[in-house]
Amino acid sequence: MIIASVEAWVEAPLARYVEEARARLALLLHPSGQVVAQAGFTRAVDVMTACALAAAVNATASELGRQVDGKAFHGLFHSGAEKQFHLGSVDLGAATYICLTVFDGESSLGLVRMYFGDLCRELKAAAPQPVTRGPALGLDFERDLNKNLAALFGRA
Amino acid sequence: MSTSSFATVLASISRQRGVRASLIVSESDGLIVDAALRFGQDGDRVAALAASLYRKARLSAGAAWLGDVAFLQLDADRGRICVAGRGDLIIVVVAEPAANVGLIRVELLKAVESLE
Repeated sequence: MIIASVEAWVEAPLARYVEEARARLALLLHPSGQVVAQAGFTRAVDVMTACALAAAVNATASELGRQVDGKAFHGLFHSGAEKQFHLGSVDLGAATYICLTVFDGESSLGLVRMYFGDLCRELKAAAPQPVTRGPALGLDFERDLNKNLAALFGRA
Repeated sequence: MSTSSFATVLASISRQRGVRASLIVSESDGLIVDAALRFGQDGDRVAALAASLYRKARLSAGAAWLGDVAFLQLDADRGRICVAGRGDLIIVVVAEPAANVGLIRVELLKAVESLE
């Protein structure tokens, strides 16, 4: 299974998830469609297409949820002749990702849902803490500016 | 507490001494159709794993030309899992190690007959 990611902390939980849930493909992406990690895809074009489509499906389902239930749906399942997919949102507090899982008769929706819950917990635990940045401008910015200008023009 | 048409089936199994939980599960999906669980038990997890186990046992029996699986029993240190199925539905029983498996088996096979 080929696993690639742009966030290193995602790889181990995703690899474990794919193995335990016996999934064929898994894709972790930002709701905008940007890929975060993928497992099982062999061609880059497939990943991009899958990301765009998954983001679109998620946006549609979320909006439908808001219309009929007042809040976004956070799980979606589709069944095909041989393959099925599960689309779920991963809430990490600071960010929300979408996980697309494709599986076949080797697994089941129950197993995927169960291990997806574990994946969400593991990702939440592994996610780096958001950096708390100070104010863009220093609190005494004006005083510092005046001091520096004075030094620059020889008035200090 | 179960209120579906499977309630009677589950009640007859849960009445057996040592039975901790009984569930009717879709074998293909691993999702609970109905269940009699105690407070705090994670039925979803049991259902998914038991359905996967039963499906693999069924496929193995088929591959070995042994025919259909009638009854599946898993003994572990802290409990037992018994499974029997018909069509896409399976009945999963989680029992204590000291439970009388003979009685559970009889009740389970009787219950499976009523599934359809």
